[in-house]
Amino acid sequence: MSEIKVKLKAEIQRLLNEDIMDMVIAFKKEDSPLRPQPAFFKNPDELEDLEYNSLCQNNLATYLTRYPQDTRIGIIVRGCESRSVNALIVEKQHKRENLYMIGIPCHGIIDVRKIINRTGEEISDYSEDQDEVSVLFEGQEVKFPRKEVLHDSCLRCVHPNPVNADILLDDPLPEGDPAVVRQAVESFETMDKDERYALFRHEAERCIRCYACREACPMCYCTECFVDHATPRWSESEISPAGTHAWHIIRAFHLAGRCTSCGACERACPMDIKMTYLTDKLNENMLEEYQFEAGMDDETQPPFASFNLDDKKRFVL
Amino acid sequence: MMYILEKKNIDQTLTDWSAKYKVFAPQKVENFSQFLPVEPSSELALDNPHNTRYPPKALFLPQSEALLKYNRQLNKLEELIIAPKPRIIFGIRPCDASAVSLLDTVFHTGEYDDPYWIARRDATILIGMGCKEPCQTCFCTTVGYGPFNHDGLDGLITEVDETYFIEVFTEKGKQLFLDLPVASEDQQRIVKSIQTNAEEKMQPAFDTTNLKQKLDQNFESDYWSKISESCLGCGVCTFLCPTCFCFDIVDEVQRNERVRNWDTCMFKIYSQEASGHNPRPTRVERTRQRIMHKFSYWIDQIGKIGCTGCGRCIRYCPVGLDIRAMLKTASTLESEGINAR
Repeated sequence: MSEIKVKLKAEIQRLLNEDIMDMVIAFKKEDSPLRPQPAFFKNPDELEDLEYNSLCQNNLATYLTRYPQDTRIGIIVRGCESRSVNALIVEKQHKRENLYMIGIPCHGIIDVRKIINRTGEEISDYSEDQDEVSVLFEGQEVKFPRKEVLHDSCLRCVHPNPVNADILLDDPLPEGDPAVVRQAVESFETMDKDERYALFRHEAERCIRCYACREACPMCYCTECFVDHATPRWSESEISPAGTHAWHIIRAFHLAGRCTSCGACERACPMDIKMTYLTDKLNENMLEEYQFEAGMDDETQPPFASFNLDDKKRFVL
Repeated sequence: MMYILEKKNIDQTLTDWSAKYKVFAPQKVENFSQFLPVEPSSELALDNPHNTRYPPKALFLPQSEALLKYNRQLNKLEELIIAPKPRIIFGIRPCDASAVSLLDTVFHTGEYDDPYWIARRDATILIGMGCKEPCQTCFCTTVGYGPFNHDGLDGLITEVDETYFIEVFTEKGKQLFLDLPVASEDQQRIVKSIQTNAEEKMQPAFDTTNLKQKLDQNFESDYWSKISESCLGCGVCTFLCPTCFCFDIVDEVQRNERVRNWDTCMFKIYSQEASGHNPRPTRVERTRQRIMHKFSYWIDQIGKIGCTGCGRCIRYCPVGLDIRAMLKTASTLESEGINAR
């Protein structure tokens, strides 16, 4: 068992044994080694299935909004997850005093598809260390340098350390390079208008409207999403270009100033659609125009949710 | 009858068929595969051990399809009845083909005949690709099918080294292969042993004995909230499922079209009633519906499980939910509802 997992288990046990929290959201093992599953521990005796490694690909903050605000929830937070939790606290989706953030400085999430595309799907075992991941494919061990199989969002991560965590289970890591963040946005921006539209169409028109991106996103918690509004209908539910374009553009815009670049949307997408080139661009705009990054504290309102009379621009959205 | 087609001749064969038929085969798209019409530039993915990511049910029940056009000023309706060119779907996996034959019991019942489904079915020859090497996520034998099951198929390929041996089951299938040499009895024996081997490799994934009764009797059990706790409530499992067929019909008034779109019981809006009441208000009831439909209600309706064990819902679930694990747990439930709330 990895050192982190030992510490994590002890911490979860403490939270539950001492009745500090009602439940802890973490991960558990599943039959397939590649798919640890989000788990909701309420009993300290249930922890034998606890799992933690770089294949834990979901942003657990997405589950917070399901529980009443008086539920005392412990939750694993890596860098992006902690910022999602903070952003949810700012948006009054849970009370800070009823949360316990178990921080893990994050070395990045492994993109299982990058491995599968190079080996094949029949992987029977997985192990990792800080520099390398190793899988067993058809009885053969195949190794990859970690960087080659990290998820794209993690390659571009600037803030790997949890913000406002109640405890850190590991030493903080160096911050990422902001210039690297720009790479996906930059390669999109350097295209001309037609190329950009072609890329957008190529990605968006593969969409099957399953809304896995929405459900995986902690910030997509609207009780009624605009695509589900039926009286009257606000958007086409077809997989026609009109329907898929509208979905991808409006989804991205609704996340302006709220997205924490975790990439959970892309990891959830069954059609491998790229989406973060849009949200990363919007994040960059928010940083340039308003010096705002979502989730860097649990007080500052996102610019589009706040109003003040001294606003330098004379408009109200 | 069993015919012999050398693998090296496959491109030519597909091209020859293209003169008379629209030929679909699994092809590489991005990093996955999908059934698309075969063109000279197509990159076939026939050797991929997995079925295609996007299910071939879409070739019979497209995800979005205009059913009729209307003109409100002229008070006119135009039904969009389709007359598809004869089609061959080549290389469909047996799980997906048996799913198509299951869906016949929905869209072609005699009482309810869907003209769009029937037109496409009648125009289509289905040639399957048997599965020599079942994948980790496959469980077709558990639910009553198999890696060489031929429900819904006109012909079925068994790959032996560089050769495709093709069994045909219908006249429609036979007419495609009349020019090909016929397999000897020895060859047929080899094919049969490969088929049996593949079936024997597959261990039961869960116990189906009395599974329906257990599910029925535990309708109110907290089993459902346990298995649905991590479910995101997206539509991946149902949209990629080869047997899920639910649809919603909407008027796209800006285009004067009435459109049928796939829908899914996993969405909250699916069961939202006009009054505002929702009989399946949370993911618990919605997960229950998905499992009960496949493993109880289909059995009530046609006496068969409504799942063919393709494994897509397992492979692509964003949170790693595994329907086999859910049903394994269900099979341990007490029949008399002792676990019920």
